[in-house]
Amino acid sequence: MKELSIGWVNVKRMIRERSNIFFVFIFPIALVLLIGIQFGSGFAPAIGVNQGDDGQLSDQVVAALEADDSVEVRQFVVREDLVTAVERGNVQAGVLLPAGMQTTTEAGEVLEIGLISRPDGTGTQLQSVIGAAISQVMTPVGAAQFAVAETDVDYSEALGVADELSEHVVPIDVSVTAVGEATFPESLGQFDLGASSQLVLFVFLTALAGSSALILTRQLGISRRMLSTPTPIRSIILGESLGRFGTALLQGLYIMVLTLIIFGVNWGDPIGAVLILTFLAAVGAGAGMLMGATFRNDQQASGIGVMVALGLAALGGAMFPLDLFSPTMQRVAHITPHAWALDGYAELVRRGGNVVDVLPELGVLAAYATGLLLLAAWRLRVAITER
Amino acid sequence: MPASLRIAGKDLRLRIRDRSALILGILAPLVLSYIFFLVFGPATTGQGLGLEFGVVDEDQTGISASFTAVLESAAAEGILELSVFDDQAAAEGALEEGDVDSYFLVPRGLEQAVFANQPATVEVVGDVDAPNSTQIAASFAERFSSGIAASQLAVVTAATVEGVQVTPDFIQSLSQQPSVAGMNYVLIDETATTKQLDAPTFFAAGMAVFFLFFTVQFGVTGLLEEDRDGTLARLMAAPIPRVSVVAGKAIVSFLLGIISMGVLVVATTFLMDATWGAPLGVALLVIAGVLAAVGIMGLVASVAKTPEGSGNLGSIIAVVLGMLGGTFFPIASSGGILASLTYLTPHAWFMRGLADLSSAAPWTDALPATGAIMVFAVVTSSLAFLLLRRRLQK
Repeated sequence: MKELSIGWVNVKRMIRERSNIFFVFIFPIALVLLIGIQFGSGFAPAIGVNQGDDGQLSDQVVAALEADDSVEVRQFVVREDLVTAVERGNVQAGVLLPAGMQTTTEAGEVLEIGLISRPDGTGTQLQSVIGAAISQVMTPVGAAQFAVAETDVDYSEALGVADELSEHVVPIDVSVTAVGEATFPESLGQFDLGASSQLVLFVFLTALAGSSALILTRQLGISRRMLSTPTPIRSIILGESLGRFGTALLQGLYIMVLTLIIFGVNWGDPIGAVLILTFLAAVGAGAGMLMGATFRNDQQASGIGVMVALGLAALGGAMFPLDLFSPTMQRVAHITPHAWALDGYAELVRRGGNVVDVLPELGVLAAYATGLLLLAAWRLRVAITER
Repeated sequence: MPASLRIAGKDLRLRIRDRSALILGILAPLVLSYIFFLVFGPATTGQGLGLEFGVVDEDQTGISASFTAVLESAAAEGILELSVFDDQAAAEGALEEGDVDSYFLVPRGLEQAVFANQPATVEVVGDVDAPNSTQIAASFAERFSSGIAASQLAVVTAATVEGVQVTPDFIQSLSQQPSVAGMNYVLIDETATTKQLDAPTFFAAGMAVFFLFFTVQFGVTGLLEEDRDGTLARLMAAPIPRVSVVAGKAIVSFLLGIISMGVLVVATTFLMDATWGAPLGVALLVIAGVLAAVGIMGLVASVAKTPEGSGNLGSIIAVVLGMLGGTFFPIASSGGILASLTYLTPHAWFMRGLADLSSAAPWTDALPATGAIMVFAVVTSSLAFLLLRRRLQK
């Protein structure tokens, strides 16, 4: 029972610290929300539009652009703002629709539409999207201009005829089919991806941050005082491990339950999801213990802890989906426990797997946890009993 | 030597021996920016969308060849990469292998259908994981389709207003090619300059300024540590002005910040090929950034009761400002409410100032952003100074 008491004291110490409330309980949820809002709906290149006037043709072009789902259209009232937005990369291309489009076309002149793009950006590639939208509007106009040039009909009459006839011209149809298995299926909720990656990131981060508490425990001589009581050293080590493990698990469960309630995040098979979390928390506890046993200065440890936790999270795919890594980087990623845990969640959430399907991932995490905890126990025994 | 410098010198030695400032100020940002660059770099430096299209021409007629020609000219301009396949099976294979994002299938009988005003379909088959690329492929086909439709419509419109049937003779009698109808507008390229950081510079600058706020904490929090350890009372008893004590701590913070940023600018330039821009402009931004960090963290120290409290509150503020300021991912480009909130942080101005310096702009381009950061610096440091001085007078 002593192990449990030592563990419980550690969990209580963590919760009582006010700033921990922010980093452990508020910040992860805020990030899931932020990432869900920013990236959950997928990335679409943005096109900025500046209309010289609100003529009919001009409005039609904007409407045609807005009908294209592959781009997001943003309106700019001031031309210079649009140029700046393209330069800063806030929109990928800008379209300058001149004033008096109607008069220019009626006069049979060629319309000049400005396209703002950067030499290094996606702007030139979006030219076809912009062109398709403008062409759609300009086709009957072109036919009318052609008829005016060839015959002595007046423009508005020709446009009327062209508009009417345009319904009878059968254009070449363009059909789009998507093939292959989607990496991120449609059923994947807006917050699903962010929730599992933030869970993995924060459970590990909190566990590593716990190392500074262990260092303080040693610095203040609490470990040695415990040792002077009839408490076997193995109970102290086990208790300290339980403390780190309990903190990480508590935070993980909190993130899971809260994101489930607030954002309706799909965690897949509950048993599988909790098991992955439990094993990951054990890995984190092992790593935190190892750091706590190795470092002597708690400020150094927390600095290194943040660095290691964020670095491993980035490498392991908790900041950027693993599926989008290059094959080499994917192999590198699987050095981290993060990648294995995320693979597990992907199996549960995206492919509807169950506990059996994530056994390989659980196995790898268990191996990490065992290795790290054994190593940490040995180092801690040395650290507490030396001198 | 003035007392403030003496105090600063003592603290600086202490911090350098302690090595925590070294870890947070130099090691962590360097390692993290390199990892971020490694992981996110390929996604952000893809130089556009990386369009890889294939085309299968089963029709082999004038019209179908003109479509391939349109794609080829786009490929020649570097807008996309084009592979021509002999049959659909080959294109299908390339799609599965990931060699192309999508391919066009131009069906047999396309030209015939166009001339007979009968329906025909160009298929765009795309990888489900490249929806944008596939949509752009579709827009290429649609633009081609509207060009053809424009010619068709032009001919029938002319015939209708003349009151005649469309016959080969009528088409012969026209003075212009019908295809001019689809050319009634041109896109005039207005190439803009680039005011955005490339991937290595973005991550280097982002991490440097993110950790800067942790690094400068070591200086100002020193005041609270002296208080806790009882040495502050002894300093107060010494024949030195109280202002010197506060100034000494601020100088430590400032120097730690400048050293950390200086080392990072030089190191990332050589290790990661980061291009920070005109040295004078970068220096101005760095100095303003460090001053703002000292001011904000000084303010935190002035309201905190213990060094631990100051450290914790400082971390929260540093993390929130850093995230909101777009040091991890560019918030300003995502639009929406966050894009306006981001400029409430000195971080966002620092990143923007550096972006203004990109593409070899003169150092003066950094002045607006430097000014904005200085507003943060002046406001927070005056407040912090007043509060800390009042605290020492008690």
